[in-house]
Amino acid sequence: MGKKNPYRKERILSILYPAGFALVLLISWQTQILHKILGTDTFTLPLPIRILTIMMDNSSDILTDVAATLIVALTGLLLGSVLGYLLAVLATALPRWGMGGLNMASAFSAVPIIAIAPIMTNLTKDVSDDPNIRSMVAKILVVMLTCTVSMSTNAYRGFIELKPFSKDLMKSYAAGSWTIFEKLRIPNCMPYIFTALKVSVPASIISALVSEYFAEYIIGVGRQIRENIVLAQYATAWAYIITACLMGIVMYGCLMLAETIMLKGRRT
Amino acid sequence: MMKRKNLTGKKAITVLLSTAILATLLSGCGKEEAAASVVVDEAATEEVVTDETVATEEVTEAVSEAAESTGPYYDSGSDVESIVIDAAEKGKVGNWGLGNEYEVQALLSKYGQDTAYLSQAFDMDGFDDDSISLASAMTYNELGLIKNDYEGGYGYADTVSFIDMNEEGVAMLEDNLFCNAAFAEENPNTVKAFIYASMKGWEYACANPEEAAEIVYKYGSSVSAQHQAYMAGEVKKLVETDTKGVAVSEYGKMDEEAMQQTLDLAKTYIKLDDSAAADKLASLTLDEIRSTSYWEEAMASEGELGAPEKAEVSIQLKWLPQAQFMGYYVALDKGYYDEVGLKVNIVSGGGDIGETTAVYSGQVDFGVTWVSNLIAANAGGMDLLEIAQVYQRSGLVLVYKLNQ
Repeated sequence: MGKKNPYRKERILSILYPAGFALVLLISWQTQILHKILGTDTFTLPLPIRILTIMMDNSSDILTDVAATLIVALTGLLLGSVLGYLLAVLATALPRWGMGGLNMASAFSAVPIIAIAPIMTNLTKDVSDDPNIRSMVAKILVVMLTCTVSMSTNAYRGFIELKPFSKDLMKSYAAGSWTIFEKLRIPNCMPYIFTALKVSVPASIISALVSEYFAEYIIGVGRQIRENIVLAQYATAWAYIITACLMGIVMYGCLMLAETIMLKGRRT
Repeated sequence: MMKRKNLTGKKAITVLLSTAILATLLSGCGKEEAAASVVVDEAATEEVVTDETVATEEVTEAVSEAAESTGPYYDSGSDVESIVIDAAEKGKVGNWGLGNEYEVQALLSKYGQDTAYLSQAFDMDGFDDDSISLASAMTYNELGLIKNDYEGGYGYADTVSFIDMNEEGVAMLEDNLFCNAAFAEENPNTVKAFIYASMKGWEYACANPEEAAEIVYKYGSSVSAQHQAYMAGEVKKLVETDTKGVAVSEYGKMDEEAMQQTLDLAKTYIKLDDSAAADKLASLTLDEIRSTSYWEEAMASEGELGAPEKAEVSIQLKWLPQAQFMGYYVALDKGYYDEVGLKVNIVSGGGDIGETTAVYSGQVDFGVTWVSNLIAANAGGMDLLEIAQVYQRSGLVLVYKLNQ
């Protein structure tokens, strides 16, 4: 008990400090102190209450957009991560090709989403007669590309960066490549998967939002942000920006929770 | 302990990284958008030698395809209603959205159709590859690219036809001249002088469209010289003809009836999620979006307007430099602004941060926008004032391919 307390206290404080800061920020925003500091007005940076009102008034419309964006982000994340993981397995199985191939792949991650998105929209025109479906495919492909790279490079490191001598130890037990892979490499890779996901979960949301800009079918949180900014409806745009942030935070929170559960017992 | 620290470090890096990605993306969006449209609109200037050959190949292909089949498109002479209904039922009506869609929605409603439309890119590839069968086009820009076979054109010539928003009674007024209401109040002489010189520029440009096109090209064109010349000829028609096809001799005049029609259609088709803004839109009157007095006094003045309160002013265009805005470039080039004591800086547009925001925030003094965009901005809380209406009729058409 005596040992646990300071740890718990530290933990509570580590939540309290940022929460307190957020509260101060929110209060100074609502009371327009923030506007004076930033030299802006309530039109460009609308008050939180107004943003919240818009979110409440349009909750059903917003949920439709959230669903559309989440389907794209999650499907793309899943497909991209699986593909990335398989690529890492392939690279581990073929060590001569592995490193170079993955370096090539990471070059892909340097291609901006805004460049890929319109290309994908054009490439998927024949996929379906329903613009909603073909737009969704195009958006998922964009998200998939972004997520593949981080998973493949990280998972590859997870397969390769083993604890010193552990591989030799396995070999001294006369373990074959497959056994080493199954018993050593795959478990070793687990934390690396979460490292990859910590990059690709926020990235999947961002690429889903941006790819909506270029999609043929008009739907999604990102598209709404753009429409409202162009129409100078900043309060509404902010409502969708906050929605996008919430989506990102919730997904990141889920990931952290999953990590805590999955990697329990690994941490000492 | 070390390990935990390490993890927090990693977390911090991840968060930083994602913030950085977000920031890069957000800052990139506008630029990329602008860049993309440059490429598209431009499909013409230097680097396009290869593009051009590709484009022409595509065009010949498409044309020969169209020539072989007799049925997939519309027969010349079919009535507007049947075309609109057919395209709407197939879900193949295209528009760019982002505040450009209201006339198309009004037309769809007129023929009892749902107001949904496909998001059209800033090129005409969607029209070319038949994913859009009724595509939005401006008479002075995209329509020229579809019909003509100069650099960047698709060369459809007379194998396409179009539906005119003016003839359908759903026209909304487009390119105007506006500033902040407070700016006009504080700087009446500047505003009048700017209107006077600009309209003089428009008058000259419409009298000499070829020369005007060359002037615009000189000031940094986003499109080829030939397309610029085509555009000048078409813009002249929009500036000198009203929605009913009657000639207009007074440049920049605000036609009450057309303005009211624009406002009425805007109230019906601009959908705002913000209830405060929606309420304001519903109650908006013409007097809250335009003032005719500055234009009237400027045009009656013969250029004697007194010293401008602010001599150095800037104007934000709605789009990239092109003959769409030739009046301002001509006024600058011919020294009309100098004559009234103004030093004018023309700022081209094209990004996602609109001209209404640029004027509202004081980055520029004047702006060119569509009346519907000004209405939406004022409903959202800006206090913008239209001071002249340069385009007297809608330049938006819906273009379709003809069966051969």
